[in-house]
Amino acid sequence: MKKKVLAAMLASLMAVSMTACGGSSSQENAAAPSDSAQSQAGTEANAASADGPIALTLWGAEEDQTLLGELVEGFKAAYPDQTFDIQIGVESESTAKDTILTDVEAAADVYAFASDQLNDLVKAGALLNLEEYADALTVAGKTLDDVKSANSAGSIEAATMDGSLYAFPRSGDNGYFLYYDSSVLSDEDVASWDNLLAAANKAGKKVGMTLASGWYNASFFYGAGFTTGLNDDQTTSIDWNKTSADGYTGVDVVKSMLNIAADPAFMAIADGDISNQLASGALVACVSGTWDSITAQEVFGDGYAATKLPTFTVGDKQVQQGSVAGFKFVGVNGYAENAGWAVLLADYISNQDSQQKFFEQRECGPTNVNLIDSDAVKANVAIAALAEQSAYSKTQLVGGKYWDPTQTFGELIAQGTLSADDDAAIQNALDTLVEGVTAPVE
Amino acid sequence: MADKKNKNVLSSIGKFFAEFAEAIVHGDIFVKLSLVWMGAGYAKRKQYIKAVLMTVLEIAVIAFTVSFAMKYVPKFGTLGTVKMEKVFNVSTMKSEINDYDNSFKILLFSLFSFVVWFAFAVVWIKNVVNAYRLQKLSEAGKHIATFREDLHSLVEERFHITLLTLPVLGVVIFTAIPILLLILVAFTNYDQQHMPPSALFTWTGLTNFINLFGGGGLTVTFGYAFVRVLGWTLVWAFFATLTTYIGGILLSLLLNSKKTRLTKMWRTLFIVTIAVPQFVSLLLVRNFFSNGGIVNTICASIGLTGFLRDIGLVSTSYIPFLSAPGWAHVMIILINIWIGVPYQMLIATGVLMNLPTDQLESARVDGAKPFQIFKSITMPYLLFVTGPTLVTDFVKNINNFNVIYLLTQDVYTTTNQAMANSQAKEVDLLVTWLFRLTQDYYNYKMASAIGIIVFIICSVFTLVAFNRMIKGDREGTYQ
Repeated sequence: MKKKVLAAMLASLMAVSMTACGGSSSQENAAAPSDSAQSQAGTEANAASADGPIALTLWGAEEDQTLLGELVEGFKAAYPDQTFDIQIGVESESTAKDTILTDVEAAADVYAFASDQLNDLVKAGALLNLEEYADALTVAGKTLDDVKSANSAGSIEAATMDGSLYAFPRSGDNGYFLYYDSSVLSDEDVASWDNLLAAANKAGKKVGMTLASGWYNASFFYGAGFTTGLNDDQTTSIDWNKTSADGYTGVDVVKSMLNIAADPAFMAIADGDISNQLASGALVACVSGTWDSITAQEVFGDGYAATKLPTFTVGDKQVQQGSVAGFKFVGVNGYAENAGWAVLLADYISNQDSQQKFFEQRECGPTNVNLIDSDAVKANVAIAALAEQSAYSKTQLVGGKYWDPTQTFGELIAQGTLSADDDAAIQNALDTLVEGVTAPVE
Repeated sequence: MADKKNKNVLSSIGKFFAEFAEAIVHGDIFVKLSLVWMGAGYAKRKQYIKAVLMTVLEIAVIAFTVSFAMKYVPKFGTLGTVKMEKVFNVSTMKSEINDYDNSFKILLFSLFSFVVWFAFAVVWIKNVVNAYRLQKLSEAGKHIATFREDLHSLVEERFHITLLTLPVLGVVIFTAIPILLLILVAFTNYDQQHMPPSALFTWTGLTNFINLFGGGGLTVTFGYAFVRVLGWTLVWAFFATLTTYIGGILLSLLLNSKKTRLTKMWRTLFIVTIAVPQFVSLLLVRNFFSNGGIVNTICASIGLTGFLRDIGLVSTSYIPFLSAPGWAHVMIILINIWIGVPYQMLIATGVLMNLPTDQLESARVDGAKPFQIFKSITMPYLLFVTGPTLVTDFVKNINNFNVIYLLTQDVYTTTNQAMANSQAKEVDLLVTWLFRLTQDYYNYKMASAIGIIVFIICSVFTLVAFNRMIKGDREGTYQ
């Protein structure tokens, strides 16, 4: 009986809303919003009354899920008085920014991300300023200075913006160095590009590097003392068309790059394609990072070796090639509800013990200074090479306008569109590059 | 014809308000009372259920306005002024966040409120008109429909209203509001620097459009890139539509020919390309034709690469199928033929099967050659029937994101520095450029502005093409 009454009432409500407006159906619209307003009020109340377990969400890469589960259990055990409800989600470090900036408020409380995303995340308010939340660490019996001194200076510098620390460094393996086959190439061969290419020519093999990417091709400019930077208005500063602090001109560096690229033993490889080229067996050495270590081991076999990047010839001098130091950070969402506990969790999964586990289980190069000096880490060929290169690496802080112009510039060099004899054309290309990179952000 | 339609719309709007004015002027006290209490007119004419429902509706809208809309609409003019600030409270381990404004929510919910109010205003006016109609009915001593009769009429003579209610609602919520929102965003500075909830954005008037058309604000080379991207978009849409159309017709003629054996097998084979998801086949093809891909390996080993280099067509050690302008443009159109022809083949086959056989018979009896029949009967008929799909295909190709993006992303690097400085490539369509501008640079305002331009281009083209096609009595030609 009750059901019938309800059905009749619903039917009549619908019917009248249609008859009353005689032809227009828009009345239904008017009824809808009050519902949505109510449900919205409902969710707000729910969130406010969450007095039960401390709810936290944690995002990490797919391959780290098992380890993260283990670490979360350890975190829970460290605070037995509290009940936690910690959800672990999958989000790759490399794409964290895109997902998080889509809806900051719905994103995880604690997440891992690659260091080049720090600036955008901070500007969007997606990262807590850890200086303001340092008090939370007292619960773990720590201070923020402990965190800063426990990790390498480079990693802390990369996690700092405007003098404030915004994330906990977790691993420092997001950089590149030189893999080579030591059964073909000697230590001397890999010391400079000239020797390297000559030896590769002799062996009838190739040396691969990605040029069409501002992440890789900046290594030559950084090595010669050029810089990039980020201004307060989010524009990028770049000085590659001028003379560097070390006294080299941008034109000289480009000429040197053109000479390398024009060598028959050099193979310019598209970004992300190094693994395939390595696996094809054409390469005797290549510039890449820890992600290719397994492939390199398989291809080079007993000859598998890695070292810092070679020097290159500018004019008549040898210049050490620089690189970009990349880190993986753990950050706390600026909109995390249980911000204090989120800070503690982020600290926990990036502390020395956790970094050790990341190294043992996932082969992640640590940023913790004690671990960097440990024998186990030094015995890892790829991570040791990265540590060697880190002396010449720079933190690359750039805005969004940096990438397309530098990619195109690298492609121009790779294809040999520019001529090494034409200084004016090179200078012109550099000027255009700088113009594009430094363009105002709309 | 368009004029006539406009007149219809205008006159019906005029009639709508004229009725309203008449109702107010000539209505009795209850009609006038309906202006304030919407149930008044019905209550007087003993339509109590309707009176209650209208009253409930009125209260609901007022409640909505007070409790929801008033939180957002007053801030619509500025899109918010209070920035978010937070302080950490160590005793609760939580952040204490102030009552901040979220520009995006203000924009969205204000727009929503406007839509609700507009709908309510229409109902409110109709309500007064209805009350006046009831007054006239009762003055004339005519029968006033009971609630049951009203209900009944909805499944009988006014059934179209019952049927259309849900679709109209769906269109308003899922199409109209998002499009209006997109249009509004084009007049704000919603981008990476002004990303809610941490930062506020605000109205900037026509700045984005001025920048788009040579104001020189967005990038130094924006106008340069825009013209080139637009040019390629139109060239692509033209060739992509034309080639697949002709290819589809030829293929279906071939399959329909009496001399072709195993037609069913051939047809199935072609349709298999439809069954495989496009992104799978496109990504595969992209890898086949990449600089280090299998096609290049084959070309190098059979000496084709060397030959092309000798005659100066390529300067690299590989054939830049998808990585150099010119080459990539042609390849994309060719690959698109492979992707698009089966669809056109299906359409053309359907049309060919319905070809008026009497015309063909008489042509044959008169001694027409197969090509003459094709030229004078088959093709005009096909063109007539498939003309509208040709137009929609063209518009679809202007916005053909899949093919372009999947074939060129991560493979194509422009060597034109001026294009690169605007984050554009030679092979970009307006929509792929738009996608990268927003996805990689969070430049929502410019994306909206370009979106509006794309919309205008597409709609103008469609309107002109359709008007031309349907003009006159061409419809009668084949009836």
